[in-house]
Amino acid sequence: MNKKFWYLTKISLNKKIKSKWFIVTNIIIFIAIVALMNISSIIEFFGGDFENSTHVLIVDNTDSSYDLFKNNLEVFNEEIDITVEESNESIDALKDNLEDEELIVILNSDPSKYIVAEVISNNKIDNITYQFIVQALNNTKTTIGMMASNIDPNILQAIEANVEVERTILNEELTSDENADLIMSSVFPTLILPFFMLIIFLVQMVGGEICEEKTTRSMEIIISNVSPKTHLMSKILASNLFVIIQALLLILYSIIALMISKYLGNSIFDISSSISTIVDTLKTSGMFAKLGLIIPITIILIIASFVAYSLVAGILASMTVNIEDFNQLQSPIMLISLAGYYLSIMASMFDGSIFIRILSYIPFLSVFISPTLFVIGQVTLIDLLISVAVLIVFIVLLLKYGLKVYKVGILNYSSNKIWSKFFKAFKSKEN
Amino acid sequence: MLTVKNITKMYDKLKAVDNLSFEVNDGEIFGLLGENGAGKTTTFRIIMGLIDANSGSVLLNGKKIDYELTDKIGFVTEERSLLTKLTVKEQIEFYGTLKSMSKEDIDKKLDYWLERFEISSYKNRKIKELSKGNQQKIQFISAIINEPTLLILDEPFTGLDPINVKLIKDAIFELKEKGCSIIFSSHQMEYIEDFCEKLVILVKGKAILEGNLKDIKESFAKKNILIKGEDIDFDEIKKIKGVISVDKVKGEYEVKIENKDIAAKVFSKIKNKNITKYDVVEPTLNEIFIEKVGGIHE
Repeated sequence: MNKKFWYLTKISLNKKIKSKWFIVTNIIIFIAIVALMNISSIIEFFGGDFENSTHVLIVDNTDSSYDLFKNNLEVFNEEIDITVEESNESIDALKDNLEDEELIVILNSDPSKYIVAEVISNNKIDNITYQFIVQALNNTKTTIGMMASNIDPNILQAIEANVEVERTILNEELTSDENADLIMSSVFPTLILPFFMLIIFLVQMVGGEICEEKTTRSMEIIISNVSPKTHLMSKILASNLFVIIQALLLILYSIIALMISKYLGNSIFDISSSISTIVDTLKTSGMFAKLGLIIPITIILIIASFVAYSLVAGILASMTVNIEDFNQLQSPIMLISLAGYYLSIMASMFDGSIFIRILSYIPFLSVFISPTLFVIGQVTLIDLLISVAVLIVFIVLLLKYGLKVYKVGILNYSSNKIWSKFFKAFKSKEN
Repeated sequence: MLTVKNITKMYDKLKAVDNLSFEVNDGEIFGLLGENGAGKTTTFRIIMGLIDANSGSVLLNGKKIDYELTDKIGFVTEERSLLTKLTVKEQIEFYGTLKSMSKEDIDKKLDYWLERFEISSYKNRKIKELSKGNQQKIQFISAIINEPTLLILDEPFTGLDPINVKLIKDAIFELKEKGCSIIFSSHQMEYIEDFCEKLVILVKGKAILEGNLKDIKESFAKKNILIKGEDIDFDEIKKIKGVISVDKVKGEYEVKIENKDIAAKVFSKIKNKNITKYDVVEPTLNEIFIEKVGGIHE
């Protein structure tokens, strides 16, 4: 690597980082992340409240269900702020004086269904509160039904208690249990989303810059001073460094947002406690111990994928005459990465199928699917290593054949017979 | 000295350059002429090492051109090759550094050329904010900032008014005096006549005419006679065998003849008239170009 390579890399990186759009975008992203993680505090600040207290007025026409229902509903007090009160007023009087944050629950006896209920409110109530009320009613009904059947209270308690499960997985290669899978299958898509966005950034940056140099014809001057290989590599290195810097900034913004969230004492969106839950689950599943191995391999897979994506973007950009052509030509890459993103979200649904396992080896898709499958225990460390090896072979082939296309493409200013030129360059013996 | 020896470049079945050879000595300006698609750009790209010839060689001072040698080559492309979002200073620093120049050296030379071209105040302006003429000056500076030993000029006067053409012309002559080999290409033949001692005319990649400009003109059979006078019957002159045409140009008559022997016949017809001017001149390069290139197309 010579001085000109490092100079081109520096110029390309500076151009991105010192641009006013980078600064503006990062300010917006920072504000968005902080706002998102502190949304409850913001809403409270403007007079709203996530923790609206709901007052439930119970009209118990069964004469024996109030206490049971009250106990069953107050179980959910950790999740929602709810107060329960029995009312002896008439339904009509209650309806006339009903406030917006109040609910009326009428409990009636039924000879065959044990208990039926009516819920009355001025407006729609939030979904979570409604679900908790329905669940409390169901639990009350079950208890009343069992008591009506003369079941001993101790037996009733034993029936209602959760089954104690001791889980043993004999296959030592599996990295997680079902609890970890459940958590990771919901957490992973969130982790992958920024990565997916960074790939889009990367493809557009590499392509956009090469297109700009082509359309302004400065490419001829640059290429007369450095080889096309040096030129392409400098673009790839600069763009990848940029993406890594951007990723680190996103992590930094998240940490700052988390600290602000903790300082403000948010409870509804308590991210730090969610992270603790995830970490605890990983610890108990035994996966935590293996992270030391998984993280470096995943990082290699991510960086190698960045390189592969940017190489393809650079080669495609060299074939185009203007940015509009490049935007069209890059759409298959976008679709592939989008497919990879969705497949990773849905990975747990495939439950060990050969199809998804094969997809996890394919470059471009592997970066999304392979770590997800590994985390949810559907593939082993060996599979992860195969994905990395396939990707590295793919990059070597891209360098061998793609550079031939690049060398021809960057000096081509005609869109006539573009694919014919592409295949001819691909097959040429020149290096 | 630049030596281009028997270069041929094929694009599929199309011969873009066909066995082309020429030499450009130090301190010499060489004209490379041809209509659009004649192979000029391909020739420049081969010289710059941007593309490889199928056969033949290009040597600068006896060495094959590589990325070290291109540090001493300047190239003004036909279309502007400037990154318009950069400032003048950034642009010249960018190209200068790619020519392995130090930042201090670039800045010193940039100040000199900006002063010389009377655009010092634009040093920190973005290129896209400059007029076409000033952009062309920046393009020229970017090609000569490295004090090249070989300078390729492809339509260097595009977008320039006569005053600025003169500024650039003077700079080109200064580089020539310093020993720079210059290849010049333009569709405006008067520039070629002003600059070039030697030239080659390309048609479909092949050199159809090459040599010293003076020799080419002399060897070209057709001549022009410029006549000014009274009572001259030009209809009679038109009837002389060997007279191609008679036209009135800027108050005088231009008689085109097939060869210099016809000049005597024309003179004998008008010698008793009141003649104030009778001048047998060489044809212009433009006429030679049209004759040669047009003839190929016929």
